[in-house]
Amino acid sequence: MIARYLERGVAAGTIAGLAYGAFMGLVGNPLVAYMEAAAHHDHGHEHASAVAETTTTIVSIGSGVLWGILLGGLFGLAYYFLEPSLPGAGTARAYVLAGAGFLSVSVAPWLLLPPATPGAQQALDTGTRLLVYAALMAVGALVSAAAVLAYRSVAARGRLVAAVAAVAPIVILGVAASLAAPTATANDALARELVAAFRGVVVLSQAALWLLVAGCFGWLHRRGGSDSTTARDRTSASNA
Amino acid sequence: MTTSNETVRDRIDRARLELSPPQILAVVALTAALGFALLFLQEPLAHDSMHNFRHAAGITCH
Repeated sequence: MIARYLERGVAAGTIAGLAYGAFMGLVGNPLVAYMEAAAHHDHGHEHASAVAETTTTIVSIGSGVLWGILLGGLFGLAYYFLEPSLPGAGTARAYVLAGAGFLSVSVAPWLLLPPATPGAQQALDTGTRLLVYAALMAVGALVSAAAVLAYRSVAARGRLVAAVAAVAPIVILGVAASLAAPTATANDALARELVAAFRGVVVLSQAALWLLVAGCFGWLHRRGGSDSTTARDRTSASNA
Repeated sequence: MTTSNETVRDRIDRARLELSPPQILAVVALTAALGFALLFLQEPLAHDSMHNFRHAAGITCH
């Protein structure tokens, strides 16, 4: 049974990853290249890259596809284990899990380390930022778990009350993050509007990736039947 | 849904029965390798090749 969930997760992730790879090729690559050029033009120094631009373009598209596959595979595995405790009915649970994934993998780290614009000067060194990023992923996962537990604990009182209870831990995370020392990135080389637009594109594209993973997974799940180890396996075995 | 009377604990027990330790290890190793390469690998050639992707995905970078 777990193998089927993993299969569906990887399949959903491949579909979402291909869409995200296309997005990388059509939007991500040109946008980053444009911002890099703009930042360096104003800054007056050229950043030497270790590889050719074509390599970056192609590998970035490929990484986008792999990113979808990784998230989809993890999603399938997590869904297998957590399905019994996720709120909602049927494949609505997939969207709850995708929301939790988006919160853990992206939103929580972004609260302290907002998507870095090309050419921005970072206040912290790379090693520290990687540690902070990983720690915030764990915090995001804990907050997601707290939100689900809060929802379940008051679910009997109605959906609205439960939804409010579920939002509470997420709001607390947001407030706590805004009180913590913000990680300063100097973006003076780029217009404020351009930085905001770039971040908006990053946030929306990641949200869309998760939505696509959940949507495709739910679709494959409905087609395959959610508990297909027993009945279906036996049927296919006897047909073979 | 078939899951109504199942718990997370049941799912873990079931996975233990269905998977052999080498299979679990393979999945964990593959996931870790892919995750590390995409998110954390800072080696200049790898890093610069994935540069646009990391910026566009909002993953921490250089």
